[in-house]
Amino acid sequence: MQRRDFFKTSIVASAAILGTNLNAGITHQPKIGQIVSNMAFPEKRPMITYSDRPPLLESTRATFVRGITENDEFFVRWHLPDIPTHIDLDSYTIKINGLVEKELNITLKELKSDYEQVEVTSVLQCGGNSRSAFTPITGGIQWGSGAMGCAKWKGVRLSDLLNRAGLKKNAHWIGFNGLEKAAYFETPNFVRELELTELDDHVIIAYEMNGEDLPYLNGFPLRLVVPGYYSDSWVKMLSNITVTDKYKHLFFMDMAYRVPDNATESETPDHLAKKTKPITHMNVKSVIAYPETGMKIYHNSHIVVRGVAFDDGHGIRKVMISVDNGKTWKEALLKQENGRYAFTEFRFVFKPTEYGKVSIMAKAVNRLGEEQPLAKNVPWNHGGYMYNGIDVVTVEVV
Amino acid sequence: MKKLLLIAILTVGSLFAQVKSDVEVPYISYQIKMGKGFDAVQANCLMCHSFGYIINQGPQSRLFWDKKVDKMITHFKAPISKEDKVIVVNYLFKHYGNGKLK
Repeated sequence: MQRRDFFKTSIVASAAILGTNLNAGITHQPKIGQIVSNMAFPEKRPMITYSDRPPLLESTRATFVRGITENDEFFVRWHLPDIPTHIDLDSYTIKINGLVEKELNITLKELKSDYEQVEVTSVLQCGGNSRSAFTPITGGIQWGSGAMGCAKWKGVRLSDLLNRAGLKKNAHWIGFNGLEKAAYFETPNFVRELELTELDDHVIIAYEMNGEDLPYLNGFPLRLVVPGYYSDSWVKMLSNITVTDKYKHLFFMDMAYRVPDNATESETPDHLAKKTKPITHMNVKSVIAYPETGMKIYHNSHIVVRGVAFDDGHGIRKVMISVDNGKTWKEALLKQENGRYAFTEFRFVFKPTEYGKVSIMAKAVNRLGEEQPLAKNVPWNHGGYMYNGIDVVTVEVV
Repeated sequence: MKKLLLIAILTVGSLFAQVKSDVEVPYISYQIKMGKGFDAVQANCLMCHSFGYIINQGPQSRLFWDKKVDKMITHFKAPISKEDKVIVVNYLFKHYGNGKLK
């Protein structure tokens, strides 16, 4: 109800600004209250379940009271319906070919013994996380705020593998392919291409997540970890790395996961941007995990507002909280133990002294001084990507 | 009242991960609306994705659904005939549409 009222207000407001043009894209708080399925997927606790084939699972808001997301509640997003039903760990290899001096076929055993083992704690977030914030509704799954998580990833550096294979002089693009398959042979594979210059030493091939094997649905036995980048680049069940000199035009690069290539990365439903670019670096964002909209809290009680904030690795400088609709802001306390790519945990003690509804807002600011805009100021784009509006939860003080 | 049909997909895949035995992936019965054209949807769409993938796109315009089915044909190479495409788009717009042509 409340959300519907909010929509009406927003539509009227935007119509007022833009004349009578109701076709402008508007942006608001993402959807809440999604139902957790009563059926659990392998190695997962029951989650919000949008699809079983391919599996699309979202974490609940409450997940983000902690800065490390447990493996069994970490979100899941596959693109193609056929995920191998069996991985033979003894014969599984990752192949490195293309413009290399020596083609490599590395087994898991070799990967764990012949290379330096490294760890990085990093946020993994779908580019379409919070897509339900956009109106008109954009194409794609209408995620709430839980298509994200943060884990400690262990594996080997991509650069160590590439150095072992030896890059040829004209090497420029690296293509990553996983084992998920389409129903039809002709369907394009989910291959991502990154430029060599984008890949620093923080990029790893991970086999472990939070001290355990990767869950099957998070890419067992190996996945690419690209700290700071949206998850479409983090190829799961990674089986092949191909080095090329030229960009290969591939569906999942040319058509999906792209935003308008203009200064504000925005467009309107009636005038879609002609030029687009792939999503890469994550923008600064925060999510309030507790309390949640609709909860009741006691007058004069002390509640601790908790949540997480992150960006693409510049690091979070501060998280500001407002309980008076944005008139005044106070700094939350931060916990930053896991490095600049990880979730920053924030907490803020709030003692409600007035009865009735109160909105709690959270705004993260990173070390570059970039801060989250109000939801209504997040530019609309037709893929519903990169939403990072100031999070607002409304509770009732009783 | 709209008639709802529970579709149970019978195939059950088995996966194996850190446990050394097969793990089954559950199949969810998404409630999909019945109506004219449903057979074509079942025959053409389910090959690649669940009904959940359709109904969780949110209510959309006719143009959106038209483009979506086109994408399945052009980019994902789904062998959907011209006749079936029309039937599928009509069904999607009727049951999962927002009433707008574009």
